[in-house]
Amino acid sequence: MQLGISIIRLDLLFETISGIIALIVTIYASNAYKITGQKKLSDLSTGFMVLSVGMFGRVIGTWYFFVRLGASEDMTPELRTLIAIVTIAYGASRIMAYVVFAVAIRPLKRVEVQDAGALMALAVLVDPTLEMIAIFVLVIVVIQALINYTTNRNRFALYVLVGFILLLLSHLFLAQSVINLGMYLMSQVAQLLGFLSFLVLLYKTG
Amino acid sequence: MSRKKVYRSKMRILADMMRAVQEAGVEGAGPTKILYAANLSHDRLTQYLEELLEKELITILDSNCSNKTYLLTDKGREFLREFVKVERFSEAFGIEI
Repeated sequence: MQLGISIIRLDLLFETISGIIALIVTIYASNAYKITGQKKLSDLSTGFMVLSVGMFGRVIGTWYFFVRLGASEDMTPELRTLIAIVTIAYGASRIMAYVVFAVAIRPLKRVEVQDAGALMALAVLVDPTLEMIAIFVLVIVVIQALINYTTNRNRFALYVLVGFILLLLSHLFLAQSVINLGMYLMSQVAQLLGFLSFLVLLYKTG
Repeated sequence: MSRKKVYRSKMRILADMMRAVQEAGVEGAGPTKILYAANLSHDRLTQYLEELLEKELITILDSNCSNKTYLLTDKGREFLREFVKVERFSEAFGIEI
């Protein structure tokens, strides 16, 4: 149990740092939108904002339930329900953000905006396989980032590709965390590294 | 086989014009040089030059001369620097501006 709480504390630290980076990218993309008027930059900003809000929400929720209240295996059904709600809200927010990324950075105009709206609604309605949906949408985002990198062949596009690959890996690790607790921490590390890649992108672009 | 035509945003056109002016250095760039560098029609060029002057992003080097030459202002240089950053960021995500 002590090991579990230690992992959760570390996870909260990683998640907080990732959330702050996501917020920085949000502000940067928003400023870029103000300068250029390119709506896709606004979408990108929205995506990162949803991600950061979801992360901060989970950090607060997890801290409250596990660290402050000391939730354990014999927790009340009400507390279990609340934890489940926070988990589902977090998972849904991430899927919404990934769908927004998929729409914003798509290289080909195949997906219409109304399709994206339907996908976002789906993310809220479907709950048991949130991780699977997240992985599926992220695979699309990674493919788009890969196409963009092979087209541009510059280091900035490479940072984005690496960032999204690491986010995808974090979800793949998380899906295996039920059978291996270590994978949970690996997932958080991969997520943090993914966001650090976005931070490096911001630093290198000036 | 037809190639997909790429449309530039107004902001990119203005940035292309300003780049042409910047590349000319202290001597300044004439309208023809800007026109070719930014790949514009004469009407569009006149319209956008007026806009750049109005926003104080460029200035006229010698207004008495029959052939005007344009220089980038400090504000214009700052704008172009910001635009390059935004351009790199956007292209990294595959977003054309």
